[in-house]
Amino acid sequence: MAIEGADIIKAAAFLGAGLSMGLGAIGPGVGEGMAAAKACEAIGRNPQEAGLLTRTMLVGQAVSESTGIYSLVVALLLLFVV
Amino acid sequence: MEQDIQTWISVAAYSGAGIAMGCGAIGAAIGEGYTAAQANYAISRNPGASGDIVKSMLVGQAIAESASIFALVVAMILLFTNFSTESYVTVSVVLSAGLCMGLGAIGSGIGSGFPAGAACIGMSRQPGTSARLTTNMLIGSAVCQTPSIFALVTSFILLFTNFSDRPLSPTWAAIIGAGLASGLGAIGSGVGGGLVAETSCEGTARNPEMAAPVTNIMLLGQAVTQTTAIYGLLISFILMFKTFPASDSLAPSMALLGAGLCMGIGAIGPGIGEGLTARSAVQWVSRNPKSIPELTRSMLVGQAVAESTGIYALVIALILIFVM
Amino acid sequence: MEELGKVHQLIIPLFGHNMAFNLDAIVFTWIVMLLILLFGVLSTRKRGMIPGSMQVIGELFVSKLYDLTEDALGREMAKTYAPLVCALFMFLVLCNWIGIIPHLEEPTKDLNTPLSLGVMGFFIAHYVGIKSKGFKAYISEYFEPFFIMMPLNLIGELAKIVSISFRLFGNIMGGSIIILVVSYLTYSILLPPFLNAFFGLFVGTIQAFVFTMLTVVYISVQAK
Repeated sequence: MAIEGADIIKAAAFLGAGLSMGLGAIGPGVGEGMAAAKACEAIGRNPQEAGLLTRTMLVGQAVSESTGIYSLVVALLLLFVV
Repeated sequence: MEQDIQTWISVAAYSGAGIAMGCGAIGAAIGEGYTAAQANYAISRNPGASGDIVKSMLVGQAIAESASIFALVVAMILLFTNFSTESYVTVSVVLSAGLCMGLGAIGSGIGSGFPAGAACIGMSRQPGTSARLTTNMLIGSAVCQTPSIFALVTSFILLFTNFSDRPLSPTWAAIIGAGLASGLGAIGSGVGGGLVAETSCEGTARNPEMAAPVTNIMLLGQAVTQTTAIYGLLISFILMFKTFPASDSLAPSMALLGAGLCMGIGAIGPGIGEGLTARSAVQWVSRNPKSIPELTRSMLVGQAVAESTGIYALVIALILIFVM
Repeated sequence: MEELGKVHQLIIPLFGHNMAFNLDAIVFTWIVMLLILLFGVLSTRKRGMIPGSMQVIGELFVSKLYDLTEDALGREMAKTYAPLVCALFMFLVLCNWIGIIPHLEEPTKDLNTPLSLGVMGFFIAHYVGIKSKGFKAYISEYFEPFFIMMPLNLIGELAKIVSISFRLFGNIMGGSIIILVVSYLTYSILLPPFLNAFFGLFVGTIQAFVFTMLTVVYISVQAK
């Protein structure tokens, strides 16, 4: 079994892409969950403002998801560009 | 020094058994310890209810232990089965079965401890509700066990399916990846499901008339929390049952291993996050029953968005399997 | 286990390109559309003050979803978008339920269906955004907080399509693969009917609701 340099680089890129997206998903997952948890709490206290609270929650989640999107971008770059 | 296949298989089976039981003990130990701590606290608040509290602590701990009993079963199979085969794929199969069950038992063990602890506290507050609380705790912790049952299914499929006619490379990586996807993927959903069940027990104790809607919302929240574990199971089924062409190079193997790792690790965070969301929603359902529709809706939307990074992990894993 | 991930395709060469049609998805989408039409005709035929059973189901369905849309979008916009929301939810629910009947398959199991619905929702949301904020304000949102963040904001928006459509696809496809593998291992004894009920009815309904709600919510975020 002859393993060449290019093959090793490709293998490392694949493994790296998997690790990048996998590890990158942990933080945003927990963080967005916390944001949604607080939003549920607030809606429980004040159900009249449910629409506004849901929108605020989504904006906050979109911002905390951005690091997850960076990992997605890095993983796609590793897969298709490197 | 020449080693034959049998030696390598024994090495892998013994290490797999060690990993299965070693990792499998983590979760149950934490969960049961938490339950016992809560039970002690509960008895100190209301020594009169100590009989009920001790009973429910023991029942809760017995359920929390079942995940590590699954791990024990897999470890025993690995130790005492004679794997006779002519292929090196079996080496990775036995290692992966152990990894899968060991990692998969962590989440459910920790998770099942939460509802049992909350049930003990609830009984000290409202000794009259102990029957309802026990039912709620049993349902909640039984659902918590689902991810570890997924891991058990995966490791049984690994152990009892014949993979030896597949080409060694890249099948070894697909097999290890399958174990990791299912095992790691079960951690987040196990813990998350436990968090949901915890507040459901607390809510039942606080407001016993609301027991039925609280249980329903808990089941809904847990079902959504478990979707990431289902993604892990999906990736591991694809890795086990899709046939991959033989290849001499390293890259295809690493793509399959990467896919398993990606989905497995990627499912942890969203699982815990969705659990946190459903936890708050269930808590406020019991406190403010009038806002159940709003709470259910925002819980589902919040969980769906919290899951999106898990979906990105699924996408990357599918690309690694089918495109690369 | 050969059928894992296999798609029945009709390939027609056209101007030097091969056009591929996924037959299952197309046929079952048409069946679902016919079922919706049938439901529409049955529930609105012979309308009266004392409703028949089909009319009750239809009214309940439409009024619940209308309220939902009104909560999220406000009274004015609900008039425009509630029909879309009702149709989307009804279509998705029927698509996910149809798989529990043997030999029928969910159209949502084919990535093209959720992806096209996701793209549709994306365009509607951004149309609403441009309409309510004006083109200039809409574009300048992409350059927040810094000018250089533009590509990442753009990818963040596009990733919404990926997450909304792969969520539905992953759940339905995952359910069907798990059912396939389990029935292969247990020789179709005992378990698959329960699994079918869980993945088809329960998960299918939740995911259809989540997809619809997210579409509504994306529209409402763009509108405000």
